[in-house]
Amino acid sequence: MGVPRSKIPWCPEIDYDKCDFCMECDKFCPHRVFERRENEERKLVVAHPENCVVFCRACAKTCAPDALSFPDKKEITALIKRLREEGKSGGGDG
Amino acid sequence: MGVEMDKLVVLPCNGLDKEAGALARELSLHLTRQGAKLVCPVLYQRSPARYKKDLAWGELLVIDGCKTGCASKLARERGLKIARRLNVAEMLDKMGIKGQKDPVPETGHLSALLSLLPDMLLLRKEEEEEERFEEILFSESVEMKEFMVGKFLFKVPVAGYYFNENDCWARVEGNLARLGVSDYVQQSAADMVFFDPPEIGAEIDQFGEAGSLESTKTALDIISPFSGKVKAVNHRLVENPELVNLDPYLQGWAVELELADFSSERELLMDCNEYYSYLREKVEREFREKYG
Repeated sequence: MGVPRSKIPWCPEIDYDKCDFCMECDKFCPHRVFERRENEERKLVVAHPENCVVFCRACAKTCAPDALSFPDKKEITALIKRLREEGKSGGGDG
Repeated sequence: MGVEMDKLVVLPCNGLDKEAGALARELSLHLTRQGAKLVCPVLYQRSPARYKKDLAWGELLVIDGCKTGCASKLARERGLKIARRLNVAEMLDKMGIKGQKDPVPETGHLSALLSLLPDMLLLRKEEEEEERFEEILFSESVEMKEFMVGKFLFKVPVAGYYFNENDCWARVEGNLARLGVSDYVQQSAADMVFFDPPEIGAEIDQFGEAGSLESTKTALDIISPFSGKVKAVNHRLVENPELVNLDPYLQGWAVELELADFSSERELLMDCNEYYSYLREKVEREFREKYG
């Protein structure tokens, strides 16, 4: 994308009112975005958002209670384009 | 010969690469002796104005030599309306003759073609032209670069494709692009069992969904590398989703888009070399994590 991954805010968000901690998303995702916390109330967290493949929403398909959501693709695309422009005009890309 | 020759304008392959091309040239010369007008593809490319009058005079017959279809592509690039089309390689196939590499026609091949010509000229109808053209446009075989990780072999085209980080590709020809998923996707998803295409005419954003695939292991969206309007979907893939596994970069195409903003959108994509490095690194990392 020409922009550091850390500047792209793309990752799933867990709605804890819906999540039943079935862990299907974690079993599915090969990128280790989620992490299980057996001894905590929130037994699953988005521990490594930067590992999430930008624009991938595959884990949401495994989620029966529909507890995973993602940012708006159009807004993220626009942001990436803007960051690229800034990078080109000498704004530095971190 | 049963076909009106006096209103045909013939644009052939220039006939210097393979036998099929040379035969296309011979066929056009034969037709000009029957009253057709000839457009030299080389001169036409250089000075299209020279043929303006001739092209307005009659119906255009394009004669391609091989399946690369240079003459068709030239006609299309110049916005010419193709009324009929012949392809010598296809005609030879039909007769069980194998075209030679040497661009000098073998004895007997031209007369065999001439015997088929009247029927072929009557057969080709305009309605099929659009679809046939796109088959020609995207039909060329693609050279692959490969790498192995463990016992798995991964293929990436050498040129002509754009990729996003979601392992979806776009092959661009003019203002059209075909979309599909990469060899990596078909290998990790295993056997494809279902293709749900988008609607024809739908407008798709860059990185928006252009249909979805379901395999025995998973379901996945086809993330479009480009924005555009859905012009066609691969109906063969609806019937035979396993084409994605068999031939992910050619027959396994899913959607055809009319591109909206190619030049600015391509900046957010990887070319074949970049994707090759990206994929290799990704697969090696996954392999290390899995097998240590």
